[in-house]
Amino acid sequence: MIDVALAQKSGGDLAEHSLSLSMRQTFALAKRSTLELFRQPALVVPSMLFPLFFAMLGNSSFGRTTSLPGFPKVDSYLQFQLAGTITQGVLFGSVTGAAALATDIQNGFFDRLLAAPTSRTGILLGRLAGSTLFGALQTAVFVFVLMPFGASVSAGIPGVLAMIVSGALISLAVGALMSSVALKTGSAEAVQGTFPLLFILLFFSSAFFPRETMSGAYQTIAGLNPISYLVEGLRALSLEGFTASATARAILVPLAIAIVALGIANSQLRSRLRKH
Amino acid sequence: MQTIISTRSIGDQDLHTTTMRSSFGLVKRSLINTRRLPSAFLPSLAMPMFNMIAFSGTFFAITKMPGFPTDRSVNWFMPLGLAMGSAFSGVALGFSLIRDLENGFYDRLRMSPTSRLSLVVGPVIATWIRVTLVAAIVFVAAFLLGARPTSGVLSYICSLIAALGIATIGAGWGLGLAYRFQDMRGAAIMQLSIFVTMFLSTAQVPLDVMTGWLHTVARVSPVTNIFRLARAGWVNESSPDYMSWSNVYGGLLAIVILSALSLTFAMRSLQQIDN
Amino acid sequence: MSESPIIAIDLVRHFGDVQAVKGINLEIKEGEIFGFLGPNGAGKSTAVRMLTTLLRPTSGTARVAGYDVVNQADMVRRNIGVALQDAAIDPLMTGAELLALQAVLYGIPATSLKKRSDELLERVGLTAAARRRVSTYSGGMRRRLDLALSLIHQPKVLFLDEPTTGLDPMSRLTLWEEVRRLNKDGTTVMLTTQYLEEADQLADRIAIIDHGRIVREGKPADLKASIGAPTLIIKIHADQNERAKSVLSTFGELRPGVEGEIGVGLQGGATQVADVVRKLDEAGVHLQHLEINEPSLDDVFAEATGYRLEGSDNAPPAGDNGLRDNGTVEPLTKKSRWGRKQRR
Repeated sequence: MIDVALAQKSGGDLAEHSLSLSMRQTFALAKRSTLELFRQPALVVPSMLFPLFFAMLGNSSFGRTTSLPGFPKVDSYLQFQLAGTITQGVLFGSVTGAAALATDIQNGFFDRLLAAPTSRTGILLGRLAGSTLFGALQTAVFVFVLMPFGASVSAGIPGVLAMIVSGALISLAVGALMSSVALKTGSAEAVQGTFPLLFILLFFSSAFFPRETMSGAYQTIAGLNPISYLVEGLRALSLEGFTASATARAILVPLAIAIVALGIANSQLRSRLRKH
Repeated sequence: MQTIISTRSIGDQDLHTTTMRSSFGLVKRSLINTRRLPSAFLPSLAMPMFNMIAFSGTFFAITKMPGFPTDRSVNWFMPLGLAMGSAFSGVALGFSLIRDLENGFYDRLRMSPTSRLSLVVGPVIATWIRVTLVAAIVFVAAFLLGARPTSGVLSYICSLIAALGIATIGAGWGLGLAYRFQDMRGAAIMQLSIFVTMFLSTAQVPLDVMTGWLHTVARVSPVTNIFRLARAGWVNESSPDYMSWSNVYGGLLAIVILSALSLTFAMRSLQQIDN
Repeated sequence: MSESPIIAIDLVRHFGDVQAVKGINLEIKEGEIFGFLGPNGAGKSTAVRMLTTLLRPTSGTARVAGYDVVNQADMVRRNIGVALQDAAIDPLMTGAELLALQAVLYGIPATSLKKRSDELLERVGLTAAARRRVSTYSGGMRRRLDLALSLIHQPKVLFLDEPTTGLDPMSRLTLWEEVRRLNKDGTTVMLTTQYLEEADQLADRIAIIDHGRIVREGKPADLKASIGAPTLIIKIHADQNERAKSVLSTFGELRPGVEGEIGVGLQGGATQVADVVRKLDEAGVHLQHLEINEPSLDDVFAEATGYRLEGSDNAPPAGDNGLRDNGTVEPLTKKSRWGRKQRR
């Protein structure tokens, strides 16, 4: 399943060669979900601009804090912050995609798909392909926009590429989780409603400040929070360089979460199908 | 305030509509709605609590910066949380107005002969009541988390005044945009603009800690004055921002001026709604 | 009141490039029930929004209850009651709470607030439901509460915007009864409707609005008469068809009827019936059945606008909005929100 999602992401060629009907359907749906996302600048633009704004704000606010004990060795706060910014942006974007799925369910488009002999998993993957691609794009934009301001990536060009893959996987993972909510509730409002929850998770992680500087309970919570590990994988690429360990953490952690999340989303899809 | 707007008789009765009485009618409606739909009110309460807890925890270490005005991170971030919650309560008025506009209920209010002022004043007063309630809960929670005032009751009063001020500014802005856009596009702009404005100040860190462009902006932002007022009773006595008339005055002035501007914007927008 | 309670002179309203109302002239007399008839999107709601001070005219003037709707909006508001199309009511409030709020907004003294509110609840049959939230009300109950709200200050002029759209037949009859009663007590009523039958039943005079213009105005009977020839329908034995047709065609144009019937538009009106019968008799045609159908408002509407209102026999399916889908779409401007939302 993951292979399929990656195949869509890597462009049309692969899908064109594939003779499988299900692949073509998935691709068509992926195209729809991607186009749909980009045709709604009001939804897309905030998930680009907001994280950038907070990154710049953070850089000015906490620029001097990098000398605090417990802070890793960094060129600038922005270099530290880059991974948090990517994660934040991807969280924003994934909710938008899942809300679109819930809207499909609400307005009956989803039923129309189900009534057609479309591959079931294709419907889900097609929907997620849009957010995955968008996650990759967001990551690239954040890296290139923030780079001149001091958000250097020690791992160089291979590192940036790894970050983009990582960003896409995080987007896929969060998108799949949010899609489970969409499939379970069939309500766009419910999906939007989980957003504050994600936001809270983000804040109780090491997205904005190192775990090492936190105190007591916060440190414990951030240590248990999966978002900390998503962020820290990415961060390793910008701070440590293109090492095997950094790359593995940046790719494998989101990959593992994505697999679990896709499993959950798929089972939610099946249970929704049973209701039909 | 008991100005009689105009009078007409039915039967042997005289009908007087007064801004005061109509405003309180609308306050009552707003509070009834809050009680019956608490889910719409919860974000206004959850936001300051979450903000205070998350920021104090995540950025715990910044109190260790040399010259930081307090060594308790909750002392520093509680006023920020309260300010954010109050701003949200203010613009939330815009959201509920949009709902009224969209379902047509607002037509009913507009067709009534009550003064247009009461259509703005009533909901704003209801917001003050909600913000005061939120502030009380936040104060208790902050105390439990370790916040300690440095100027006694005055600390709480200053923070509350700042919260009410921010709520008023947010309310005027939210209502005005709601009147102009009359749909949820307005809601997005309200939220974005007010939060960006809030953060372009000493919301997160003191002027001494920040660098670059933010320092330039925050130094002249009136919101910085409001935060100075909100925190005057929460910073150490040794801090230059400690409770004093000169540290409070600027915040009060900023609140009065910005509230006047935003409420005027709301009134103007309401007067143009029939265009 | 010396002046007619509703006067509109060259009333125009544009929304951007869309001309919703293209110059309306109206005069509604005191004590009248005036029916404002037209499909959705014809401009009737826009016109009513201007008359009720919700919308500023692009040009032209209107005076309601003796006051200018723009410059003396406050005095207009004081003297009119308006029941909204969708009975837009805050669903979290109870009927009694809404009446109390309305009373405050209209300046009803606190001392008589309760009494007035109870009277109105009684009048519209909502006394038992007064302490329930509006969200639990049926469509008919909402309309009745809406009517009660609009009457709190005993307005001289009452605007009813599609008061029965979506109501079941019983609820419609109840509401019509109440409107007649109010009118008998001296209230001038302007009624917006897309149901021809409603206009026919209630209105003393009607105006048909189409594409932002009033295309017909007058008493329903006069308008119907203006269509001219009533239709005479006879039923005869099939083998006499040709003979009958040649007789009837001398009286006017033959009109299609159902199987076994022949219709003719009587050029000379209903008084010719005796002549027709005599001539048929002379020709040896034996009548089995004869009826004369006056033109209906439906015919008037069709003649005026060039199309018929869908479901013009006025039997909107329960819970349906009747005309919403007849292809005439209200210009979707952000301001034309009166009735934009439909309750399910």
